[in-house]
Amino acid sequence: MAPDFLATVLLSSLSSAAILLIATIGLAVVFGLMGVINLAHGEFLMIGAYTALTVTQAGVPYVLSIPVAVAVTMAIGALVEVLVISRLYGRIFDTMLATWGISIAFYQLAVLTFGTVSPGIGMPQISVQIGAYSLAVYPLLMNGVALAMLGFVYLLMTRSVYGMKARASIQVPEMARAIGISSARVNTMTFALGCGLAGFAGAVLLPIVPATPSMGFAFVIKAFLTVVVAGPVTLTGSALAALGLGGGASVTASFLTSVAGDAFFFVATALLLWRYPLGISARWRRKL
Amino acid sequence: MFRLVNATGGYGKTTIIRDVSIAVMRGEVVALLGRNGVGKSTLMRFAIGSIPAMAGHVEIDGKLAPAAPERRARLGVGYVPQGRFVFPRMTVSENIAVAAAATGHDHRAAVTAALADFPMLRPKRDDLAGGLSGGQQQVLALARALATQPRILLLDEPTEGVQPSIIDEIAGILKRINAERGIAILVAEQDLDFCLSIAGRAYVMEKGRIRMEVDRDTLRADTALQQNLLGV
Repeated sequence: MAPDFLATVLLSSLSSAAILLIATIGLAVVFGLMGVINLAHGEFLMIGAYTALTVTQAGVPYVLSIPVAVAVTMAIGALVEVLVISRLYGRIFDTMLATWGISIAFYQLAVLTFGTVSPGIGMPQISVQIGAYSLAVYPLLMNGVALAMLGFVYLLMTRSVYGMKARASIQVPEMARAIGISSARVNTMTFALGCGLAGFAGAVLLPIVPATPSMGFAFVIKAFLTVVVAGPVTLTGSALAALGLGGGASVTASFLTSVAGDAFFFVATALLLWRYPLGISARWRRKL
Repeated sequence: MFRLVNATGGYGKTTIIRDVSIAVMRGEVVALLGRNGVGKSTLMRFAIGSIPAMAGHVEIDGKLAPAAPERRARLGVGYVPQGRFVFPRMTVSENIAVAAAATGHDHRAAVTAALADFPMLRPKRDDLAGGLSGGQQQVLALARALATQPRILLLDEPTEGVQPSIIDEIAGILKRINAERGIAILVAEQDLDFCLSIAGRAYVMEKGRIRMEVDRDTLRADTALQQNLLGV
């Protein structure tokens, strides 16, 4: 096999894994620090994408539209947490149903507002040449973005007071309150953060994945499975799971077909969950 | 200073403690004695606000205490639970820092102070709390509670599963913080010797109620009572 082909496949697969990780981190944060599975995660991604699109169309440079998308999704996330999620603490299935309902509502709202088709903003047309193959630079950049997101969340959770409170609250909820932590306020912050990360993902991936009302569905299933495979040590677990599952699926797809790639993803997930029912990180001694 | 008035509570529809009234004065050390399952832990959780009151209430400085545990913690109620419940995937330092920060104190200063008070934790400061031994976790749980700068410390079975040398150390620490900082202590225990070594008086519980109140000397002298109520 030609080395340039192999290098191209590996690089683009790495980018696929990075894209999966970018789309997953927000979900992982909310699940890992609140025990809540946010089935509306994909819709927050969609809201982030549409916010970035709308702001860009209004003439603002694309790069500046990303923080706007983060702010909008964080605000909506905080509202959803206060109005809905906070009333369902400790009821994981009820929360899943509620967030599923929210996801349907957001989807319909997007259909009504934007229609089912909307223009993409086009990927920056820069590419690199590897042997006989040329590779777009923007997806490659996503590797750096994924690493930066991981680093940001890790530092926020380990170095900030909020991060310590959030980790204490999920580890031993009763004790967290007994030492003075307002779990309610911490949870609102965590959910808003998770939604903000989803909004960031939607905005930063906009050149690759155009905004459509249904774009959330495409991401949420794989993101959800990645988080479940990751287990309790959310951040490191998710990074490894995204690399293994997303990267593996992409490599498989390159050599066979995209259907085979998806099949790899789901079969590997099933095998991993069979072998590690509580996630691959269940026995790790790590912070995040 | 800290008072439970007609405390009645339990889990779901099951009432565990009934009509319990106790008081701990400023700077006092009081023991809560009784066999397994008489409701000592439930009483502690009632006191910190972890379980809802079916009847009765808690007073701090003569005022009705707020219902939420986090607000009681900020009013100076420190809690060391039975089974320790340190935050396992946080380091020793973080366990202390988060308690200080949550009650509005400087967290770096709190860690420095705690490591000075508890030399045993110093080599473990960056280790995850989940990997410590039982005795080390007990000391950490105590350090964590002290980081909230409490005025009363509620300790639930601090000697359970802890080796004798560390039990002595814990008794020494409790005596010292009581004497030096004037922190009042309410300690639920089955270990009579431990209680006699630190507490001035004791409440004895039986079947979810306070059976009697005794001072240290009476309790020490009355072996029949010890047999009867405590099974020692």
